[in-house]
Amino acid sequence: MKRKIRFYLVLCIIGLCLAVTALALRRFSISDIVGGMMMGGGSGLCAMALVQLLMLYSEWKHPEEARKKEIAVKDERNTAIQRRAKAVSGDILQWGVMVVAWVSIGLDAPLWVTLLAVSIFVLRSVLDVFLIGYYQKVM
Amino acid sequence: MKNRLEELRKAKGLCQEELADALEVSRQTIGSLERGRYNPSILLAFKISRYFGIPIEEIFIYEEEPL
Repeated sequence: MKRKIRFYLVLCIIGLCLAVTALALRRFSISDIVGGMMMGGGSGLCAMALVQLLMLYSEWKHPEEARKKEIAVKDERNTAIQRRAKAVSGDILQWGVMVVAWVSIGLDAPLWVTLLAVSIFVLRSVLDVFLIGYYQKVM
Repeated sequence: MKNRLEELRKAKGLCQEELADALEVSRQTIGSLERGRYNPSILLAFKISRYFGIPIEEIFIYEEEPL
């Protein structure tokens, strides 16, 4: 818990420093792109760290609820459900992409649309084969 | 796979929430296990077995499907 608090505090400070530096450097004609990136990145980092700190504070204030939340996240049935849902949605998307490829051919769409759709389908299939091989070695 | 989880839980006078808390799983998982809709991992099966102090095979009843 303390390590997490320290980590997010450091992130928050880094974010603030980035945002303040971006503001300060505006006087020295820093380019808009760099200034914007520093300001955007810094304020985003700071906000994200603050949200995490607030969540940690809430966990500290309500330990029972935090424990329940942790159990729900680690629960093996929930994990199995999430994995199955991701696998099925991945399959649906893959075949959806193939449908897009066929429709694009039918509608005489630019070649790159068809090629992109087919490439995504092939990439997913190759990734499937690679991951099946990997898990067969590991498990 | 059938199991005696509901029977054992009720014999101990526990509600699903209490058993889930003791086993560090969600209440829904206990419900699914009791209805036989979900088969636990071997780790959870051992946890349940240790919690009730009964061997796994006396809690989970495996019936081979006839060919």
